Amino acid sequence: MVKEIERAGLPVVHICTVVPISLTVGANRIVPAVAIPHPLGNPSLTPAEEKEIRSKLVDKALIALSTEVTDQTVFEMS
Amino acid sequence: MKLEIGQIFIRDIQFDAVSRIENNILYVNTQELKALLLEDEHLASVDFEIAKPGEKTRIIPVKDVIEPRVKVEGGGGIFPGVLAKVEAVGSGRTNVLKGAAVVTTGRIVGFQEGIIDMSGPGADYTPFSKLNNLVLICETVDGLKQHAHEKVVRFAGLKTAAYLGRLAKELVADEVKTYETPSVKEGMLKYPDLPRVAYVLMLQSQGLLHDTYVYGVDMKQSLTTMLYPTELMDGAIISGNCVSACDKNTTYHHLNNPVVEDLFAKHGTELNFVGVIITNENVYLADKERSSDWTAKLVELLGVDGVVISQEGFGNPDTDLIMNCKKIEAKGVKTVIITDEYAGRDGASQSLADADASADAVVTGGNANMVIELPPMERIIGHKEAADVIAGGFDGSLKEDGSIVAELQVITGATNELGFNKLSAR
Repeated sequence: MVKEIERAGLPVVHICTVVPISLTVGANRIVPAVAIPHPLGNPSLTPAEEKEIRSKLVDKALIALSTEVTDQTVFEMS
Repeated sequence: MKLEIGQIFIRDIQFDAVSRIENNILYVNTQELKALLLEDEHLASVDFEIAKPGEKTRIIPVKDVIEPRVKVEGGGGIFPGVLAKVEAVGSGRTNVLKGAAVVTTGRIVGFQEGIIDMSGPGADYTPFSKLNNLVLICETVDGLKQHAHEKVVRFAGLKTAAYLGRLAKELVADEVKTYETPSVKEGMLKYPDLPRVAYVLMLQSQGLLHDTYVYGVDMKQSLTTMLYPTELMDGAIISGNCVSACDKNTTYHHLNNPVVEDLFAKHGTELNFVGVIITNENVYLADKERSSDWTAKLVELLGVDGVVISQEGFGNPDTDLIMNCKKIEAKGVKTVIITDEYAGRDGASQSLADADASADAVVTGGNANMVIELPPMERIIGHKEAADVIAGGFDGSLKEDGSIVAELQVITGATNELGFNKLSAR
Protein backbone atom coordinates (compact mmCIF):
# COMPACT_ATOMS: atom_id res chain seq x y z
CA MET A 1 0.00 0.00 0.00
CA VAL A 2 2.85 2.35 0.91
CA LYS A 3 4.50 1.80 -2.44
CA GLU A 4 1.33 2.02 -4.51
CA ILE A 5 0.29 5.36 -2.96
CA GLU A 6 3.78 6.73 -3.53
CA ARG A 7 3.67 5.54 -7.11
CA ALA A 8 0.55 7.67 -7.52
CA GLY A 9 2.61 10.69 -6.46
CA LEU A 10 1.76 11.16 -2.78
CA PRO A 11 4.43 10.92 -0.08
CA VAL A 12 3.74 8.26 2.58
CA VAL A 13 5.03 7.69 6.07
CA HIS A 14 4.82 4.14 7.36
CA ILE A 15 4.25 3.91 11.12
CA CYS A 16 5.18 0.34 11.98
CA THR A 17 6.73 -1.82 14.66
CA VAL A 18 8.87 -4.16 12.62
CA VAL A 19 11.10 -1.64 10.88
CA PRO A 20 13.18 -4.31 9.06
CA ILE A 21 10.08 -5.52 7.19
CA SER A 22 9.19 -1.95 6.24
CA LEU A 23 12.74 -1.48 4.94
CA THR A 24 12.56 -4.77 3.02
CA VAL A 25 9.30 -3.88 1.30
CA GLY A 26 10.65 -0.46 0.35
CA ALA A 27 8.99 2.25 2.48
CA ASN A 28 10.86 5.56 2.24
CA ARG A 29 9.72 7.27 5.45
CA ILE A 30 9.41 5.03 8.49
CA VAL A 31 8.38 5.90 12.06
CA PRO A 32 8.93 3.01 14.56
CA ALA A 33 5.77 2.16 16.50
CA VAL A 34 5.22 0.66 19.97
CA ALA A 35 4.49 -3.06 19.45
CA ILE A 36 2.83 -5.31 16.90
CA PRO A 37 -0.50 -5.82 18.73
CA HIS A 38 -0.68 -2.14 19.74
CA PRO A 39 1.37 0.04 17.35
CA LEU A 40 0.01 3.38 18.60
CA GLY A 41 -0.79 2.56 22.21
CA ASN A 42 0.31 0.62 25.25
CA PRO A 43 -2.29 -1.19 27.34
CA SER A 44 -0.01 -1.16 30.39
CA LEU A 45 -0.29 2.65 30.58
CA THR A 46 -3.16 4.95 31.56
CA PRO A 47 -5.39 6.31 28.75
CA ALA A 48 -3.84 9.77 29.24
CA GLU A 49 -0.32 8.38 28.88
CA GLU A 50 -1.38 6.40 25.83
CA LYS A 51 -2.80 9.54 24.23
CA GLU A 52 0.52 11.29 24.76
CA ILE A 53 2.40 8.45 23.01
CA ARG A 54 -0.07 8.52 20.15
CA SER A 55 0.17 12.25 19.80
CA LYS A 56 3.99 12.15 19.71
CA LEU A 57 3.98 9.40 17.09
CA VAL A 58 1.58 11.32 14.86
CA ASP A 59 3.63 14.52 15.27
CA LYS A 60 6.75 12.58 14.30
CA ALA A 61 4.93 11.14 11.31
CA LEU A 62 3.87 14.59 10.14
CA ILE A 63 7.46 15.83 10.45
CA ALA A 64 8.61 12.80 8.44
CA LEU A 65 5.98 13.47 5.81
CA SER A 66 7.19 17.02 5.28
CA THR A 67 10.90 16.11 5.25
CA GLU A 68 12.70 15.64 1.94
CA VAL A 69 14.44 12.26 1.75
CA THR A 70 16.84 10.87 -0.82
CA ASP A 71 17.00 7.35 0.62
CA GLN A 72 14.96 5.08 2.93
CA THR A 73 14.88 6.96 6.25
CA VAL A 74 13.89 5.82 9.73
CA PHE A 75 12.66 8.71 11.92
CA GLU A 76 13.53 7.50 15.42
CA MET A 77 11.58 8.90 18.38
CA SER A 78 13.82 11.06 20.54
CA MET B 1 23.39 -36.26 29.12
CA LYS B 2 21.93 -39.60 28.07
CA LEU B 3 18.29 -40.60 27.61
CA GLU B 4 16.75 -43.91 26.61
CA ILE B 5 13.37 -43.74 24.92
CA GLY B 6 11.38 -46.93 25.40
CA GLN B 7 8.70 -47.15 22.74
CA ILE B 8 5.52 -49.08 23.44
CA PHE B 9 3.65 -49.37 20.16
CA ILE B 10 -0.06 -48.64 20.51
CA ARG B 11 -2.14 -50.19 17.75
CA ASP B 12 -5.59 -49.39 19.11
CA ILE B 13 -7.46 -47.42 21.79
CA GLN B 14 -10.62 -48.72 23.46
CA PHE B 15 -12.86 -47.57 26.30
CA ASP B 16 -12.92 -50.04 29.19
CA ALA B 17 -13.60 -50.37 32.91
CA VAL B 18 -9.89 -50.41 33.78
CA SER B 19 -7.28 -48.12 32.27
CA ARG B 20 -4.29 -50.21 31.16
CA ILE B 21 -2.10 -51.22 28.25
CA GLU B 22 -2.35 -54.84 27.19
CA ASN B 23 -1.08 -56.47 23.99
CA ASN B 24 -0.31 -53.01 22.61
CA ILE B 25 -3.89 -51.84 23.08
CA LEU B 26 -4.57 -48.78 25.21
CA TYR B 27 -7.71 -49.18 27.35
CA VAL B 28 -9.16 -46.05 28.94
CA ASN B 29 -11.54 -45.76 31.87
CA THR B 30 -13.13 -42.46 30.94
CA GLN B 31 -14.98 -42.07 34.25
CA GLU B 32 -11.76 -42.16 36.22
CA LEU B 33 -10.10 -39.77 33.77
CA LYS B 34 -13.10 -37.46 33.77
CA ALA B 35 -13.07 -37.25 37.58
CA LEU B 36 -9.39 -36.33 37.48
CA LEU B 37 -9.93 -33.59 34.88
CA LEU B 38 -13.06 -32.13 36.49
CA GLU B 39 -11.01 -31.36 39.61
CA ASP B 40 -10.39 -28.12 37.69
CA GLU B 41 -13.44 -26.03 38.63
CA HIS B 42 -13.13 -24.00 35.43
CA LEU B 43 -13.84 -27.05 33.33
CA ALA B 44 -17.62 -27.46 32.98
CA SER B 45 -17.60 -30.70 31.01
CA VAL B 46 -15.28 -33.08 29.26
CA ASP B 47 -16.26 -35.81 26.83
CA PHE B 48 -14.11 -38.40 25.12
CA GLU B 49 -14.06 -39.78 21.58
CA ILE B 50 -11.61 -42.09 19.86
CA ALA B 51 -10.46 -41.20 16.35
CA LYS B 52 -8.58 -43.86 14.40
CA PRO B 53 -6.73 -43.78 11.08
CA GLY B 54 -8.96 -44.32 8.06
CA GLU B 55 -12.20 -43.35 9.78
CA LYS B 56 -14.53 -40.81 8.15
CA THR B 57 -13.95 -38.50 11.09
CA ARG B 58 -13.08 -34.81 11.36
CA ILE B 59 -11.77 -33.17 14.55
CA ILE B 60 -12.38 -29.39 14.65
CA PRO B 61 -11.23 -27.01 16.13
CA VAL B 62 -8.02 -28.72 17.27
CA LYS B 63 -6.05 -26.91 19.97
CA ASP B 64 -3.14 -29.17 20.87
CA VAL B 65 -1.86 -32.68 20.22
CA ILE B 66 0.17 -34.42 22.92
CA GLU B 67 2.01 -37.74 23.09
CA PRO B 68 1.66 -39.71 26.35
CA ARG B 69 5.01 -40.27 28.08
CA VAL B 70 6.29 -41.24 31.50
CA LYS B 71 9.64 -40.99 33.29
CA VAL B 72 10.84 -44.43 34.29
CA GLU B 73 14.34 -43.52 35.50
CA GLY B 74 16.22 -40.26 35.90
CA GLY B 75 15.43 -36.88 37.42
CA GLY B 76 12.18 -34.99 37.12
CA GLY B 77 8.85 -35.88 35.56
CA ILE B 78 7.14 -35.30 32.22
CA PHE B 79 6.18 -31.63 31.64
CA PRO B 80 8.50 -30.29 34.36
CA GLY B 81 7.53 -26.95 35.87
CA VAL B 82 4.02 -27.43 34.52
CA LEU B 83 2.68 -30.75 35.81
CA ALA B 84 5.77 -32.22 37.46
CA LYS B 85 7.94 -30.29 39.89
CA VAL B 86 10.72 -28.13 38.46
CA GLU B 87 13.66 -30.48 38.08
CA ALA B 88 15.97 -30.98 35.12
CA VAL B 89 14.79 -33.73 32.76
CA GLY B 90 16.40 -35.37 29.75
CA SER B 91 18.37 -38.21 31.33
CA GLY B 92 17.63 -41.79 32.37
CA ARG B 93 14.70 -43.59 30.79
CA THR B 94 11.35 -42.43 29.41
CA ASN B 95 8.57 -44.67 28.11
CA VAL B 96 6.44 -43.46 25.20
CA LEU B 97 3.04 -44.60 23.91
CA LYS B 98 4.09 -44.55 20.25
CA GLY B 99 1.18 -44.35 17.85
CA ALA B 100 -1.21 -42.76 20.34
CA ALA B 101 -2.00 -39.12 20.99
CA VAL B 102 -4.26 -36.89 23.04
CA VAL B 103 -6.08 -34.27 20.93
CA THR B 104 -7.91 -31.37 22.58
CA THR B 105 -10.98 -29.72 21.09
CA GLY B 106 -14.03 -27.82 22.35
CA ARG B 107 -15.53 -24.39 21.78
CA ILE B 108 -13.04 -22.19 19.93
CA VAL B 109 -10.65 -20.08 22.03
CA GLY B 110 -8.66 -18.20 19.39
CA PHE B 111 -9.26 -18.04 15.66
CA GLN B 112 -6.13 -19.97 14.82
CA GLU B 113 -7.10 -23.50 15.71
CA GLY B 114 -7.11 -26.35 13.23
CA ILE B 115 -8.61 -29.41 11.58
CA ILE B 116 -7.55 -33.07 11.64
CA ASP B 117 -9.26 -35.36 9.12
CA MET B 118 -8.72 -39.06 9.77
CA SER B 119 -9.26 -40.01 6.10
CA GLY B 120 -9.62 -38.41 2.67
CA PRO B 121 -7.43 -35.72 1.12
CA GLY B 122 -7.18 -33.74 4.39
CA ALA B 123 -5.65 -36.73 6.16
CA ASP B 124 -2.68 -36.66 3.78
CA TYR B 125 -1.79 -33.16 4.98
CA THR B 126 -1.58 -33.93 8.71
CA PRO B 127 0.67 -36.43 10.49
CA PHE B 128 -1.97 -36.85 13.21
CA SER B 129 -4.34 -38.76 10.91
CA LYS B 130 -1.94 -41.72 11.25
CA LEU B 131 -2.32 -41.95 15.04
CA ASN B 132 -4.87 -43.47 17.38
CA ASN B 133 -6.23 -40.34 19.01
CA LEU B 134 -8.04 -39.95 22.30
CA VAL B 135 -9.98 -36.73 21.69
CA LEU B 136 -11.02 -34.54 24.62
CA ILE B 137 -14.00 -32.27 24.04
CA CYS B 138 -13.48 -29.66 26.73
CA GLU B 139 -16.09 -27.02 27.54
CA THR B 140 -15.31 -24.40 30.15
CA VAL B 141 -17.59 -22.61 32.60
CA ASP B 142 -19.25 -19.40 31.39
CA GLY B 143 -17.56 -16.06 31.78
CA LEU B 144 -14.00 -17.31 31.51
CA LYS B 145 -11.62 -14.95 29.68
CA GLN B 146 -9.85 -16.30 26.58
CA HIS B 147 -6.47 -16.75 28.26
CA ALA B 148 -8.00 -18.65 31.17
CA HIS B 149 -10.00 -20.76 28.69
CA GLU B 150 -6.86 -21.67 26.75
CA LYS B 151 -5.07 -22.60 30.00
CA VAL B 152 -7.87 -24.87 31.19
CA VAL B 153 -7.88 -26.81 27.93
CA ARG B 154 -4.08 -26.90 27.79
CA PHE B 155 -3.89 -28.45 31.25
CA ALA B 156 -6.67 -30.97 30.52
CA GLY B 157 -4.63 -32.22 27.55
CA LEU B 158 -1.37 -32.41 29.48
CA LYS B 159 -2.97 -34.15 32.48
CA THR B 160 -4.57 -36.73 30.19
CA ALA B 161 -1.26 -37.42 28.44
CA ALA B 162 0.45 -37.84 31.82
CA TYR B 163 -2.38 -40.10 33.06
CA LEU B 164 -2.07 -42.35 30.00
CA GLY B 165 1.72 -42.23 30.18
CA ARG B 166 1.70 -43.56 33.74
CA LEU B 167 0.05 -46.76 32.46
CA ALA B 168 3.35 -47.53 30.70
CA LYS B 169 5.66 -46.97 33.67
CA GLU B 170 6.20 -50.66 34.43
CA LEU B 171 5.96 -51.98 30.86
CA VAL B 172 8.76 -53.55 28.85
CA ALA B 173 9.36 -51.43 25.75
CA ASP B 174 8.98 -52.87 22.26
CA GLU B 175 11.94 -50.85 21.08
CA VAL B 176 14.55 -48.74 22.85
CA LYS B 177 16.42 -45.80 21.33
CA THR B 178 19.35 -44.09 23.04
CA TYR B 179 20.27 -40.42 22.66
CA GLU B 180 23.42 -38.95 24.19
CA THR B 181 24.90 -35.47 24.18
CA PRO B 182 28.47 -35.13 25.45
CA SER B 183 29.74 -31.93 27.07
CA VAL B 184 31.26 -29.40 24.67
CA LYS B 185 34.77 -30.45 25.70
CA GLU B 186 34.12 -34.20 25.51
CA GLY B 187 32.46 -33.81 22.11
CA MET B 188 35.44 -31.94 20.67
CA LEU B 189 37.91 -34.53 21.95
CA LYS B 190 35.77 -37.44 20.78
CA TYR B 191 34.99 -36.12 17.29
CA PRO B 192 37.91 -33.81 16.42
CA ASP B 193 37.31 -34.03 12.67
CA LEU B 194 33.54 -33.68 12.53
CA PRO B 195 31.77 -30.36 11.85
CA ARG B 196 30.07 -29.06 14.99
CA VAL B 197 26.41 -28.15 14.55
CA ALA B 198 23.89 -26.41 16.83
CA TYR B 199 20.14 -26.14 16.43
CA VAL B 200 18.37 -22.80 16.95
CA LEU B 201 14.76 -23.55 17.85
CA MET B 202 12.55 -20.45 17.60
CA LEU B 203 9.50 -20.52 19.86
CA GLN B 204 6.28 -18.60 19.31
CA SER B 205 5.90 -16.07 22.14
CA GLN B 206 3.82 -13.16 20.86
CA GLY B 207 1.25 -13.29 23.64
CA LEU B 208 -2.44 -12.97 22.72
CA LEU B 209 -2.76 -16.78 22.82
CA HIS B 210 0.54 -17.26 21.00
CA ASP B 211 2.73 -18.65 23.76
CA THR B 212 5.19 -21.40 24.55
CA TYR B 213 6.35 -22.54 27.98
CA VAL B 214 9.77 -23.89 28.92
CA TYR B 215 9.91 -25.61 32.31
CA GLY B 216 6.79 -23.55 33.01
CA VAL B 217 8.44 -20.23 32.07
CA ASP B 218 6.52 -18.09 29.60
CA MET B 219 9.08 -17.84 26.79
CA LYS B 220 8.31 -14.21 25.98
CA GLN B 221 9.76 -13.33 29.39
CA SER B 222 12.96 -15.30 28.84
CA LEU B 223 16.19 -14.44 27.10
CA THR B 224 17.63 -16.83 24.55
CA THR B 225 19.06 -19.87 26.32
CA MET B 226 20.23 -23.46 25.81
CA LEU B 227 18.83 -26.93 26.39
CA TYR B 228 20.11 -30.44 25.97
CA PRO B 229 18.15 -31.95 23.06
CA THR B 230 16.87 -34.79 25.26
CA GLU B 231 15.11 -32.30 27.56
CA LEU B 232 12.62 -31.72 24.73
CA MET B 233 11.81 -35.44 24.72
CA ASP B 234 10.69 -35.21 28.36
CA GLY B 235 8.33 -32.30 27.77
CA ALA B 236 10.53 -29.36 28.79
CA ILE B 237 8.74 -27.33 26.10
CA ILE B 238 4.97 -27.24 25.78
CA SER B 239 2.65 -25.37 23.45
CA GLY B 240 0.10 -22.86 24.71
CA ASN B 241 -0.31 -21.69 21.24
CA CYS B 242 -3.28 -20.84 19.04
CA VAL B 243 -1.17 -19.54 16.14
CA SER B 244 -1.98 -20.79 12.63
CA ALA B 245 -2.74 -24.51 12.78
CA CYS B 246 -0.54 -25.44 9.85
CA ASP B 247 2.72 -24.10 11.24
CA LYS B 248 2.42 -24.01 14.99
CA ASN B 249 4.41 -26.55 16.94
CA THR B 250 2.06 -28.64 19.03
CA THR B 251 3.38 -30.24 22.20
CA TYR B 252 3.59 -33.48 20.16
CA HIS B 253 6.00 -31.74 17.76
CA HIS B 254 8.21 -30.54 20.62
CA LEU B 255 8.37 -34.08 22.06
CA ASN B 256 9.24 -35.52 18.64
CA ASN B 257 11.27 -32.68 17.10
CA PRO B 258 12.50 -34.10 13.76
CA VAL B 259 15.46 -31.71 13.53
CA VAL B 260 16.70 -33.09 16.85
CA GLU B 261 15.98 -36.64 15.68
CA ASP B 262 17.88 -36.18 12.40
CA LEU B 263 20.85 -34.40 13.98
CA PHE B 264 21.13 -37.25 16.50
CA ALA B 265 20.99 -39.76 13.61
CA LYS B 266 24.10 -38.15 12.10
CA HIS B 267 25.77 -37.39 15.43
CA GLY B 268 29.20 -39.01 15.69
CA THR B 269 29.37 -40.04 12.04
CA GLU B 270 28.72 -36.98 9.86
CA LEU B 271 28.59 -34.22 12.47
CA ASN B 272 28.82 -33.40 16.15
CA PHE B 273 25.42 -32.22 17.43
CA VAL B 274 26.35 -29.74 20.13
CA GLY B 275 22.95 -28.71 21.53
CA VAL B 276 19.77 -26.69 21.19
CA ILE B 277 19.56 -22.91 21.50
CA ILE B 278 16.00 -21.80 22.20
CA THR B 279 14.89 -18.27 21.44
CA ASN B 280 11.60 -16.35 21.33
CA GLU B 281 9.49 -14.41 18.82
CA ASN B 282 8.24 -11.33 20.66
CA VAL B 283 6.16 -8.35 19.52
CA TYR B 284 8.55 -5.52 20.42
CA LEU B 285 11.30 -4.70 17.95
CA ALA B 286 13.80 -4.25 20.81
CA ASP B 287 13.03 -7.83 21.97
CA LYS B 288 13.60 -9.15 18.46
CA GLU B 289 16.96 -7.36 18.26
CA ARG B 290 18.01 -8.47 21.77
CA SER B 291 17.01 -12.12 21.32
CA SER B 292 18.66 -12.48 17.92
CA ASP B 293 21.82 -10.76 19.23
CA TRP B 294 21.80 -13.35 22.01
CA THR B 295 21.33 -16.25 19.59
CA ALA B 296 24.34 -15.13 17.57
CA LYS B 297 26.39 -14.64 20.76
CA LEU B 298 25.67 -18.17 21.99
CA VAL B 299 26.53 -19.59 18.56
CA GLU B 300 29.82 -17.69 18.64
CA LEU B 301 30.56 -18.79 22.20
CA LEU B 302 29.99 -22.44 21.27
CA GLY B 303 32.27 -21.98 18.27
CA VAL B 304 30.15 -24.21 16.02
CA ASP B 305 30.61 -24.59 12.26
CA GLY B 306 26.96 -24.65 11.27
CA VAL B 307 23.47 -23.95 12.57
CA VAL B 308 20.01 -25.18 11.63
CA ILE B 309 17.30 -22.59 12.44
CA SER B 310 13.60 -23.45 12.58
CA GLN B 311 10.81 -20.87 12.72
CA GLU B 312 7.34 -21.11 14.24
CA GLY B 313 4.37 -19.24 12.79
CA PHE B 314 4.60 -16.61 10.08
CA GLY B 315 4.40 -12.87 9.41
CA ASN B 316 6.44 -10.82 11.85
CA PRO B 317 8.36 -13.94 13.08
CA ASP B 318 9.86 -13.90 9.57
CA THR B 319 11.86 -10.93 10.87
CA ASP B 320 13.09 -12.88 13.91
CA LEU B 321 14.09 -15.66 11.52
CA ILE B 322 15.99 -13.36 9.19
CA MET B 323 17.65 -11.52 12.11
CA ASN B 324 18.85 -14.84 13.55
CA CYS B 325 20.11 -15.96 10.16
CA LYS B 326 21.81 -12.68 9.28
CA LYS B 327 23.50 -12.20 12.66
CA ILE B 328 24.75 -15.80 12.85
CA GLU B 329 26.07 -15.66 9.27
CA ALA B 330 27.83 -12.39 10.17
CA LYS B 331 29.80 -14.38 12.77
CA GLY B 332 31.09 -16.56 9.93
CA VAL B 333 28.85 -19.53 10.75
CA LYS B 334 26.80 -21.24 8.05
CA THR B 335 23.03 -21.46 8.49
CA VAL B 336 20.10 -23.33 7.02
CA ILE B 337 16.64 -21.95 7.77
CA ILE B 338 13.42 -23.96 7.88
CA THR B 339 10.23 -21.99 7.27
CA ASP B 340 6.99 -22.18 5.31
CA GLU B 341 5.40 -19.85 2.77
CA TYR B 342 2.45 -17.49 2.48
CA ALA B 343 2.89 -16.95 -1.22
CA GLY B 344 -0.75 -16.32 -2.14
CA ARG B 345 -3.24 -18.84 -3.45
CA ASP B 346 -1.40 -19.03 -6.77
CA GLY B 347 2.01 -19.21 -5.08
CA ALA B 348 3.23 -16.17 -7.04
CA SER B 349 3.69 -13.67 -4.18
CA GLN B 350 6.72 -13.11 -1.96
CA SER B 351 6.90 -16.08 0.41
CA LEU B 352 8.24 -14.38 3.53
CA ALA B 353 7.60 -10.92 4.96
CA ASP B 354 11.34 -10.35 5.36
CA ALA B 355 14.42 -11.41 3.44
CA ASP B 356 18.19 -11.11 3.34
CA ALA B 357 20.94 -12.24 0.96
CA SER B 358 22.56 -14.29 3.73
CA ALA B 359 19.48 -16.54 3.87
CA ASP B 360 20.77 -18.56 0.94
CA ALA B 361 19.92 -22.04 2.23
CA VAL B 362 16.20 -22.40 2.85
CA VAL B 363 13.96 -25.40 3.43
CA THR B 364 10.21 -24.83 3.03
CA GLY B 365 7.31 -26.70 4.58
CA GLY B 366 4.97 -25.66 1.77
CA ASN B 367 2.59 -22.84 0.79
CA ALA B 368 -0.07 -22.33 3.49
CA ASN B 369 -2.27 -20.21 1.18
CA MET B 370 -2.97 -23.07 -1.21
CA VAL B 371 -6.74 -23.73 -1.41
CA ILE B 372 -7.94 -27.22 -0.61
CA GLU B 373 -11.32 -28.93 -0.53
CA LEU B 374 -12.19 -31.31 2.28
CA PRO B 375 -15.12 -33.65 1.64
CA PRO B 376 -17.90 -34.11 4.21
CA MET B 377 -17.22 -36.58 7.03
CA GLU B 378 -19.61 -38.99 8.72
CA ARG B 379 -18.56 -37.99 12.21
CA ILE B 380 -17.57 -34.54 13.46
CA ILE B 381 -15.80 -34.32 16.82
CA GLY B 382 -16.00 -30.77 18.15
CA HIS B 383 -17.69 -27.82 16.46
CA LYS B 384 -17.88 -27.80 12.66
CA GLU B 385 -18.95 -24.13 12.40
CA ALA B 386 -15.43 -23.16 13.47
CA ALA B 387 -14.44 -23.74 9.82
CA ASP B 388 -15.76 -20.28 8.89
CA VAL B 389 -13.66 -18.44 11.45
CA ILE B 390 -10.35 -20.26 11.87
CA ALA B 391 -7.34 -18.75 10.06
CA GLY B 392 -7.36 -19.99 6.48
CA GLY B 393 -11.12 -20.38 6.54
CA PHE B 394 -13.58 -17.64 5.54
CA ASP B 395 -17.28 -16.92 5.65
CA GLY B 396 -18.73 -19.69 3.52
CA SER B 397 -15.84 -22.14 3.98
CA LEU B 398 -18.26 -24.65 5.48
CA LYS B 399 -20.65 -25.85 2.75
CA GLU B 400 -24.16 -27.10 3.33
CA ASP B 401 -23.15 -30.71 2.66
CA GLY B 402 -20.45 -30.48 5.35
CA SER B 403 -17.51 -30.11 2.98
CA ILE B 404 -14.97 -27.35 3.60
CA VAL B 405 -13.15 -25.14 1.10
CA ALA B 406 -10.31 -23.28 2.78
CA GLU B 407 -6.62 -22.50 2.67
CA LEU B 408 -4.20 -25.24 3.69
CA GLN B 409 -3.37 -23.33 6.87
CA VAL B 410 -6.53 -24.74 8.52
CA ILE B 411 -4.95 -28.19 8.79
CA THR B 412 -3.00 -28.91 11.97
CA GLY B 413 0.65 -29.52 11.16
CA ALA B 414 0.29 -29.18 7.36
CA THR B 415 3.26 -26.86 6.72
CA ASN B 416 5.14 -27.50 9.97
CA GLU B 417 8.43 -25.62 10.11
CA LEU B 418 10.31 -28.36 11.92
CA GLY B 419 9.81 -30.48 8.82
CA PHE B 420 7.39 -32.79 10.61
CA ASN B 421 5.39 -33.39 7.46
CA LYS B 422 5.79 -34.27 3.81
CA LEU B 423 5.30 -30.97 1.95
CA SER B 424 8.36 -29.16 0.60
CA ALA B 425 9.85 -27.87 -2.65
CA ARG B 426 12.99 -28.16 -4.69
